[in-house]
Amino acid sequence: MSKPKKMTLSKKQNLMGWVFLLPGALLIFIMSFVPMFRALLLSFKSGVGANMKWSGISNYIRMFQDTVFVQSVKNTFFYLIIQVPVMLILALILASILNNKDLKFKGLFRTMIFLPCATSLVAYAIIFRSLFANNGLINLLFVKLGILDQPYAFLTNTTSARIVIIIALLWRWTGYNMVFYLSGLQNIEYSVYEAAKIDGASAVQSFFKITVPLLKPTILLTAIMSTNGTLQLFDESVNLTKGGPANTSITMSHYIYDMSFKYVPNFGYAAAMSFLILILVAVLAFLQMKVGDKRD
Amino acid sequence: MYLFLIIVSFISVFPLYWMVSAATNKSAEVISGRLIPGTYFFENWKNLMAAQNVGRAFGNSFKYAVILTIVSLLVSSLAGYGFEIFHDKGKDILMSIILLAMMVPFVATMIPLFQMFSKAGWLNTTIGFILPTISTPFLIMMFRQSARSFPHDIMEAARIDGLSEIRIFFQMFIPTMRSTYAAAMTITFMNAWNSYLWPKVIMTDATSQTMPMVVANLTEGYVTDYGMLMLAVLICTLPTAIVFFCLQNAFAEGITGAVK
Amino acid sequence: MKRKILAALLASTMVLSLVGCGGGSAETPAAPAADSGAATEEAAPAADSGDAAAEGAPAADASAAGGEETLTVWCWDPAFNLNAMYEAEKVYQKDHPNFKLNVVETPWDDIQTKVTTAATSGDLSTLPDIFLMQDNAFQKNVLAFPDVCMDLTNSGIDYSQFAAGKTAYSVIDGKNYGVPFDNGAVVACYRTDILEQAGLTIDDFTDITFDQYLENGKKVLEATGKPLISMQAGECDLIMMMLQSAGASLFNEDGTANITGNDTLRIVMETYKSLKDAGVLTEVNSWDEYVGDFVSGNVAGTINGCWIMASIQTAEDQKGNWAITNMPSLVGAANATNYSNNGGSSWAVTTKCANPDLACDFLKSTFAGSTELYDNILPSGALATWAPAGDSDAYATPNEFFGGDAVSAKIVDFATKVPTNITGAYYYEARNAVATAITNYINGADLESELQTAEQTINFNMQ
Repeated sequence: MSKPKKMTLSKKQNLMGWVFLLPGALLIFIMSFVPMFRALLLSFKSGVGANMKWSGISNYIRMFQDTVFVQSVKNTFFYLIIQVPVMLILALILASILNNKDLKFKGLFRTMIFLPCATSLVAYAIIFRSLFANNGLINLLFVKLGILDQPYAFLTNTTSARIVIIIALLWRWTGYNMVFYLSGLQNIEYSVYEAAKIDGASAVQSFFKITVPLLKPTILLTAIMSTNGTLQLFDESVNLTKGGPANTSITMSHYIYDMSFKYVPNFGYAAAMSFLILILVAVLAFLQMKVGDKRD
Repeated sequence: MYLFLIIVSFISVFPLYWMVSAATNKSAEVISGRLIPGTYFFENWKNLMAAQNVGRAFGNSFKYAVILTIVSLLVSSLAGYGFEIFHDKGKDILMSIILLAMMVPFVATMIPLFQMFSKAGWLNTTIGFILPTISTPFLIMMFRQSARSFPHDIMEAARIDGLSEIRIFFQMFIPTMRSTYAAAMTITFMNAWNSYLWPKVIMTDATSQTMPMVVANLTEGYVTDYGMLMLAVLICTLPTAIVFFCLQNAFAEGITGAVK
Repeated sequence: MKRKILAALLASTMVLSLVGCGGGSAETPAAPAADSGAATEEAAPAADSGDAAAEGAPAADASAAGGEETLTVWCWDPAFNLNAMYEAEKVYQKDHPNFKLNVVETPWDDIQTKVTTAATSGDLSTLPDIFLMQDNAFQKNVLAFPDVCMDLTNSGIDYSQFAAGKTAYSVIDGKNYGVPFDNGAVVACYRTDILEQAGLTIDDFTDITFDQYLENGKKVLEATGKPLISMQAGECDLIMMMLQSAGASLFNEDGTANITGNDTLRIVMETYKSLKDAGVLTEVNSWDEYVGDFVSGNVAGTINGCWIMASIQTAEDQKGNWAITNMPSLVGAANATNYSNNGGSSWAVTTKCANPDLACDFLKSTFAGSTELYDNILPSGALATWAPAGDSDAYATPNEFFGGDAVSAKIVDFATKVPTNITGAYYYEARNAVATAITNYINGADLESELQTAEQTINFNMQ
């Protein structure tokens, strides 16, 4: 493409590229960046409800003095650090197992593993709460097996409440990420695996030597998405633990939502906290892109 | 390996099983943790149909989700393709900027967006529902990443044969990337079907209510009828599950070997 | 070729927007009228004061609407609030045959989201004429969005006929912003068959103090192994009920937080902890679990707003085994009573309402003036806070589920004795801070330092 004689062709193609991406980019600009810009302006105002005044960067200072918000940042990072790597690795393993040509009932397994993320939030919240209830199935099982002497209040103790949230996230999103890996695996010739097998490579070896490197673009995609999703985590905090006990499992988005719709609304402050999330995700995504987004 | 898969599948499916069995039990039985299917299904069905206009909500959700999926896939895959196939420094930077669009919690941008839509008169309309999510950074990035494995040599060959860029996209890229499209379709449909926060802000009319809104209605009373609720939730879950089941072969069995 | 694709894109966009607009206008006959231009003009004068709008606007609007009398209402719960609105429509239609209601079922959370969104973006045109508001959210919404709710003080509604403790929720700066609707008077419900096993009856729980409650609870626990009550952890429902039973609040009259200097709150916290430590009270994680506990007989009863009785009655097999009475009173608190309130809601009229006279007259002749309405909705469990309704024969009907007791009359009586307290605009913030404090206190933290932290948190939120 870079050969001088193709210069005109390359220019033409460059232009074509813009035509292709124009509708999508334009829509994102209008539907996301315009409101984002207005939210940014809002973040420099403060006040109650619709009555807002310019207040400089006071909102940005305020959030570092807000003990609940600081707690929510810590909680969110706790989820991020544990849940994202575990989930992505699990999803990769499942995808490579289910990509095996000789496996029976593949379609059934795939659908079953995908189902959690299709399950409506309401049902999933009720089920998880009842599973981990004081007289729920998990407690029943643990007491019967002798692991626990008496029922343990999983959702009202800090550490276990956080672990339940992580388990719930793993349950819900592993199948979702598996879908991307499965679809990404289609771009790898199956014969490559067969050749590796003939050469005496073990399943583990071909996983690390073939699957992981070739899936790198997809892994990057899912890593950025999961990071973004976890930093904006909302549903689990609201529906499983209500942020409790004593705010030790509340997430940033949950707090922002409360600040906007449950408490006396302070949208300037809510917007400022939202932009902190943007900065955090952007930095992490940038690092991930630096590591993973290289064309060979 | 089968054992592992069976355990994972069991854990995945158990809540769904619970949902199905709950839909056949009385509310008090559901809440006291009964796990065996009961005989109350038709009662729940009758109550649900009497309490909520499920048919209309299902129709609305279906209409919004199908239209959004089709338009969104077209627009986003065009953009993702444009970003990757014709990539240069400028476009790579633009892609990074576009990614920023998904990193702000929706709560923050919702109110400015609502202002725009209400001025445009798009409340309670299909266009109001779909417009903000037609083009998503996520889908664009997904198509951009998968376009990376679209073989450049056959594209060059096609160009030499005189195929226009548009035709290369429609006649070669789309069929080749069937697996990506199928996965994207599943995800987009699911997200559209389950979307809640935005619709609840712009849909103020009883006639434009969607399935998730019906489910929310059922949880809001002083008394929650859990049997009926679980039936509604089940109805709300089925379409995504069916879409997935139908498309999963397309994206998992793929078209290996067709591209060479 | 390029042009072709662009044309195709344009065409498809047009088709889509046609589908969108077509669908929209077909489904919403009122859409053109709801255009932002017209609506903001209506909203603007009304915003200054409800009265001015009430005098100025109606004539013009009534004629514009061509004599049609339709009001849009948002509320939730088909069996309860929606049903009440439909019955009210029937009652009002007797004198006003052209009258029609357009009731849109909208969960409370969604109403709050929609009101917040509309008010913040300055476009009230999307709001209905009347909506139902949780009592606890009234102060907050009027403070944050003074333009949304109409001042109903001079609407002709006689507020003296409502229970004082109830009306107070929707009074801000001496002005009435709501028409009280459902009753949230606190009832203590007990399984008489479980109490019997410990040799106790419902009389042993009537007009008692929390000390006696604790002693009774220990007996029940010993005899049956069952706690008297379960409560949701992290939601301080019981704390708030105890507070109000002594007329205490988390705020002072001037709106400042009243935590560290609040002796009643201290007693409440200590009482709660003693119940929890003795095992008489057990904490659960969620609402479903809470309901599940008394429906399946894991606990001997509960204390909550009277609307909880509807959930209790879903356990059909326990018919006749339940009884209600008043709640225990605090020991050592000034003004302690056996009565309190939890939950409940009131109707608000929006300033966007094109026909405020009609809206006020409708509410006045139904929810604030019709015993017939309250009789009709009584079977659904909707108990009045409007005093004249309680005198009706319907309220004296015995309820077999609760052992043949005339529970409705009893609750209406309870409601009149509920002490008034201050909700405060920052109610939810304060509640969350207190919930954090009680959680830590139960787990062994020092009460004084927890109360201090709670007060700091609330003050921080009010800055």
